[in-house]
Amino acid sequence: MKDRLRRFLNIDRRWLFLLLSVVMIWPIIHPSGIAGRTTQQSVKDFYDFIENLKENDFVILGVDYDPSIKPELQPQAVAALRHLFRRNVRVCILTFISGAPGLIEEIKQTVPQEAGKEYGKDYVVMAYNPNYMAAMTQMSIDFYKAYEKDAEGNTVKGMPVMKGINTYRDMAGVVEITGTGMLDAWVAYVGDKYNVPIIGGTTAISQLGYGPYLQNRQLLGLLGGMRGGSEYETLTGRKDKATSGIDALNLSHMLVIILILTSNIILLVLKEKN
Amino acid sequence: MLIIKKYIPLAIVMIVGLLTLATYYVPAKASQAYLSTLNQWEVIVSGFAFLLGLISLLMTHYKKIVRHEDGWGYSIFVFLGFLAVVIPGIISHGAQADNGTLTSLGWSFRYLYNPLASTMFAVLAFYIVSTAFRSFRIKSAQAFVLFIAAFILILGNVPAGQMLWDTLLGWTGCCSISDIIQWIMQVPSVAAKRGIMIGITIGAVVTSLKIIFGIERQYMGRD
Repeated sequence: MKDRLRRFLNIDRRWLFLLLSVVMIWPIIHPSGIAGRTTQQSVKDFYDFIENLKENDFVILGVDYDPSIKPELQPQAVAALRHLFRRNVRVCILTFISGAPGLIEEIKQTVPQEAGKEYGKDYVVMAYNPNYMAAMTQMSIDFYKAYEKDAEGNTVKGMPVMKGINTYRDMAGVVEITGTGMLDAWVAYVGDKYNVPIIGGTTAISQLGYGPYLQNRQLLGLLGGMRGGSEYETLTGRKDKATSGIDALNLSHMLVIILILTSNIILLVLKEKN
Repeated sequence: MLIIKKYIPLAIVMIVGLLTLATYYVPAKASQAYLSTLNQWEVIVSGFAFLLGLISLLMTHYKKIVRHEDGWGYSIFVFLGFLAVVIPGIISHGAQADNGTLTSLGWSFRYLYNPLASTMFAVLAFYIVSTAFRSFRIKSAQAFVLFIAAFILILGNVPAGQMLWDTLLGWTGCCSISDIIQWIMQVPSVAAKRGIMIGITIGAVVTSLKIIFGIERQYMGRD
């Protein structure tokens, strides 16, 4: 018995890899559709912020993540853009991450079409800018000195979507979806200094770090990881990738708990026998 | 020589540092114009920094290949990856799509970079599970507290965990797992995070002042 337990404790990790693969692939073949029972307050606040925007308001949507965390954050960005379009808000999409323009292109090819939105009139995509601090500060003085051309090389000034927009004072807020420290930068360099409302979406692992900002209302709403994305999708009434991803997350999280408990129980048993 | 190499750079750093700091508190037109110019300079300088980094990266890996150093084969992939993005980028003039059709850059992003980056990150999940089984040992009171916090957070982060909690402990009428998570996130976690943030900020302020006043000079190199 003791030897068996010891052998189980030293199991070849490839068996664990196989177990995880099954646990991740199974829900894709057979979705369980177990929905979350609660909605976090920060997700409700995120939803309410966009819901309370007025028609024709202007909002910056920061898409600052690369493909490595796309499964967690792209559903948040897509859901937020759909929601903004539903509220008839003008959207300016921008990024400071070199890996993001391709992901923005993916969003651009689907979401605006289904919402019937027109490029240049209802939304615009800015060119990638590597220097976020300079761009964020510059937009407080003159937006067009930070972004003269859009991602397609068109002159931004004069586009219908930019009508009446010169600085942050003319904007209703910033929605920042990121897995980097960019949300902190928006809060520190823009939100606090120029009184611009900021809401954000981030990975589950980064979510805990934004507690102080949420408590102080420096951040008015936050989506955390796939769970936050799925709760937000539920609120917007359109379940999509975040909700379907929750199934795989369900089982893999449970597997981690079971493995931790099992290994510790075995250790306890072995210790008592000794 | 000492004036050119030492005192003039130190003076530039001090003047620019103090002026930039002042712009935060002086919302005058002149201060905005100064900040605007500085921002544009910063973008230009960072462009050169990118170029410098690129040359340095390529030179390092080129030397590795020429000298057949350990793992030199991987360095070939640095060049392959670089060319697989840069050549399509030049051909398609940096555009990812043209009238809804993917350009060669868009194709290399979607079908090379996208899956490679996702795979690199996804592999982590396997190591996390393996490590959770092998290394998460409750050997002390601190480890037990960590385990309980992690257990509750993992359980409460997924609907299945919430259902399990409600089924097993719902009858007690005690608080839900979401309430407990909310408390962990709003009290101990925020307190710890705030402490770390204050510490980092004080460190950043002190380092900045040391640089502005010429006490910290490592950025100037050894000469």
